[in-house]
Amino acid sequence: MGNVFITILISASLFAALIWIGPACRSGLADSIGYSRFSRLAHRFSLRRLSILLRSLKIESFIGRLNLRELVNRLRLSAATCRFTAFIHSVRSRFVANANSISPLDASAQPDIAGLNCRVCFGAGGKDASSGDSFVVEICGTIHSPGDNDEAALKVAISDVTGAPHDSKPVLSKAAQWRLKDSNVFCYSADLGRLAGRDTILHNWMRVARLQTGWLVFPRRGERSLLVRISIVSRRDLQELAHAECVFPYYNEEFGYIDIEENRQRVKTLAIALAFTVSAADGKMFKCEVDFIKDWAIDNLCLSEASSRARRKLEKALSKTLAFFSRGRRLNTQGICRELVRLASAADVQDVMAFCLHVAQAKGSVAPEELTILGDLARWLEIDADVYRTMMERILPVNMHQVKDTQLVLGVTSDMSGEAARRLLNREYSKWNARVTNRDPQIQAQADEMLSLIAEARREYVG
Amino acid sequence: MANIVGIDLGTTFSALAVLNAIGKPEIIPNCEGERLTPSAIFFDEDSPGVIRVGIEAINSRNLNAQRSVRWIKRHMGQTEYLKEIDGKKWTAVELSGLILKKLKQDCSREHGEIRDAVISVPAHFDEIRRKATMDAGTSIGLNVIGIVNEPVAAALYYATTRDVSGKVLVYDLGGGTFDVSIMNVQGHQMDIICSQGDHALGGVDFDAEVLEIIERMYRDALNAELISCDEDRAKYEDEAEDIKKTLSRRPVAKKMLYGSAGSMRAEVTREMFEDAISAHLARTDILVEVALDEAGLKPTDIDKVLLVGGSTRIPAVQQRLKKMFGAEPENAVNVDECVALGAALHAGLTVLREHPDSVPAGIAGGLRDVQLVDVCNHSYGTICAPIDKKTGRRVVENRIILKKNTPLPCESSQVFYTVSEGQSAVEVTVTQGEDTAPEYVNKIATNRLELPAERQAERPIKVTYSYDLNQRMHCSFEDVESKRLLEVDLCLDQKAQAPESGDPQEAGQLDSFKVQ
Repeated sequence: MGNVFITILISASLFAALIWIGPACRSGLADSIGYSRFSRLAHRFSLRRLSILLRSLKIESFIGRLNLRELVNRLRLSAATCRFTAFIHSVRSRFVANANSISPLDASAQPDIAGLNCRVCFGAGGKDASSGDSFVVEICGTIHSPGDNDEAALKVAISDVTGAPHDSKPVLSKAAQWRLKDSNVFCYSADLGRLAGRDTILHNWMRVARLQTGWLVFPRRGERSLLVRISIVSRRDLQELAHAECVFPYYNEEFGYIDIEENRQRVKTLAIALAFTVSAADGKMFKCEVDFIKDWAIDNLCLSEASSRARRKLEKALSKTLAFFSRGRRLNTQGICRELVRLASAADVQDVMAFCLHVAQAKGSVAPEELTILGDLARWLEIDADVYRTMMERILPVNMHQVKDTQLVLGVTSDMSGEAARRLLNREYSKWNARVTNRDPQIQAQADEMLSLIAEARREYVG
Repeated sequence: MANIVGIDLGTTFSALAVLNAIGKPEIIPNCEGERLTPSAIFFDEDSPGVIRVGIEAINSRNLNAQRSVRWIKRHMGQTEYLKEIDGKKWTAVELSGLILKKLKQDCSREHGEIRDAVISVPAHFDEIRRKATMDAGTSIGLNVIGIVNEPVAAALYYATTRDVSGKVLVYDLGGGTFDVSIMNVQGHQMDIICSQGDHALGGVDFDAEVLEIIERMYRDALNAELISCDEDRAKYEDEAEDIKKTLSRRPVAKKMLYGSAGSMRAEVTREMFEDAISAHLARTDILVEVALDEAGLKPTDIDKVLLVGGSTRIPAVQQRLKKMFGAEPENAVNVDECVALGAALHAGLTVLREHPDSVPAGIAGGLRDVQLVDVCNHSYGTICAPIDKKTGRRVVENRIILKKNTPLPCESSQVFYTVSEGQSAVEVTVTQGEDTAPEYVNKIATNRLELPAERQAERPIKVTYSYDLNQRMHCSFEDVESKRLLEVDLCLDQKAQAPESGDPQEAGQLDSFKVQ
């Protein structure tokens, strides 16, 4: 039933767009329609459909300055209502209505005044320009109250009902003040003030809350259907006076919490692949390196307390991977890095890099081939050069390098001018000279070696 | 009024100077009549209880190298360094104390009581090494009223005896350490700008290179090793030092080498020597450049280069400086003595500042015009845990509060915030070092600031550091809301509270040892 309804909705939307966008653009009215209202329509379509539609109408120039995905992602306006039947009628009104940051989608719809109705509009920014996008919650209809002049409060909860309706998932809150007690599930509340009487009737839509999208954590990324449920409660005894709910679509650009958990596992798997790549870089996979990877896998894939069967399964998988690399075969490392950059946070990416560095460290010295692949990984993982060098200093100090590469260790390059190289090397010298009196003998030894290396590099690059 | 004394506690030689009646510093010769005393110790096995310091120790060294100690300054502040003699484990502080005791003893014999003294240290010495130096003085009953940086002391002496003005670079290449300091001198007014240095770069490293040359010569000529025991090594270390000194005067030095395969005549040329030490001199060049960069100056901005330390007699050193600065460096005063002489002046200035009434009019008059503005030798900071903007994670880092080369006296504050809700205390750490990474800095004090209970996170804690002219540092950690205050005072004459500085020295604890 739901699918049929959505199909009708899409068809109707397309029809409306063909009727109204087409003439508007052809008659040069595109600019007068305005970017924001155009985008309000845009949210109804998938990227592909929108692209086809725009091409068929020859109005690419209208959005020529925009990346199409950006257009859909940023401006997919979700003005939703529980009364879907009003939607078609509203399409026309959208293009004649005066443009503002939020405009009622179904201005011509007739809500049931006997009960409470709610709707959600998607607004760009709030009072504070830095607050970002927000959902604006509006209500109309009747609120019944047992007493006169009761003080009322509003509560808003949001759940994600994308997919099967019975499989709703909570929307979580990043903001501590909008959380249910002892959980991080989103729950907004606000004071509504004193009600007019026993029956408070709102004939027009009234804005009651602006919820910043930045507060919310959705289960997944992409197209979502969100169920918003509002409750009007008496402040005296917290008894619910009225409630309403509506479903609205929203495109979530960020990873959801389920995505993040899945990504986390995937990132760990990819990290293990990279670790084996580093271990195999010099043509030999030392037992200490492999053991380090296995221990890391057991600790990080949460198998330290798992069943012996799960552990056996993991060990089998690791052994297979080991055999794969031992045969001299290699993975598409750059592709893995690309996926990691897409899935992992900056912090997780740095953790993966640190893991790979520790694998190279395991045997106490690092071969030139390993340094090369580590440098490639850092580049492909988009780790800042200074951050990478700092990690190297800590995990793979220069006295572990089988071959001292001044370019890699000091960041000096042959295309630098003599003056630039001199300044960089002097800065490095000053840094390591201060470390040479460190209490830790290992750091002292590292600093001594770095000072010699810098002096050598100066002879080469500065003269 | 007891004598006002300055001591240059050097790696290879030490010297002591006192201020005379008109405030001029004078070197006091030791009981052997020498103005410089070798910083060498020998524990005489034939006379237990007698410890020989100075030339006697150098002469006895070849007899039993195991019972001799040299270059102890390189081990200052190293708690793990211990020299075991007859069951007693001597620390670097105690051994340095023995050298100071010899200086004090010899001076007292003719000049009466010595109590207040300033001891010089390399400018780049950290707080732990400075404290160890001060402890060495305290251990023999000296009242160490201050620690002065060697280049500053030398420049003080230059400025009060020679006509020096403008931007001055002091190049101090001694027996074991190298310092370079840049200062602005106008008459008797001296403003230090910055310092750099290397704790293990000096004459002994050049001696080691010479030793390597003669060992190689012997090996190549007779296919045998020149050195077969510690005593041989001690002997040829002294020979190498002699060759080095000869090469500063002549182009060739000749020596007879006596090894297990017979004797041979070795000729070491100045070119061979200069080639051998070029890597060391390159390091001094870098440090000079680093200091110039720190001061925001070019070599042409330097009006005068002052030479300090015996190793600056090496012709290659002077040639390099002339090439770099385009003018001959100044070596008008005795480069071995000017640090002790300047330290005595510094001692006079310190006494004059703290107890002006106790200073005789003659001395006060002599020092009246001398003004010295010193700087923080290192950066001082605290450990905090800010959120990294890129990763969104908290990272533990050292945040610098007082920056290196800030003119003294100085004060600086920063506000930090508590991390968690209900946080009941803050562990406070005072660090010394230039790095942001905590593992690369020295922790010189730790303490705990108790906070009010049940508060939200992100409550402000104001951290203020101040550093006065007497190198006393005052640190305060204030919980802004409750006004709770934790104050930490750090000064070199205080008993150790730093977690890494080792055992504090008791005053006069070396009194029972007889030094000859």
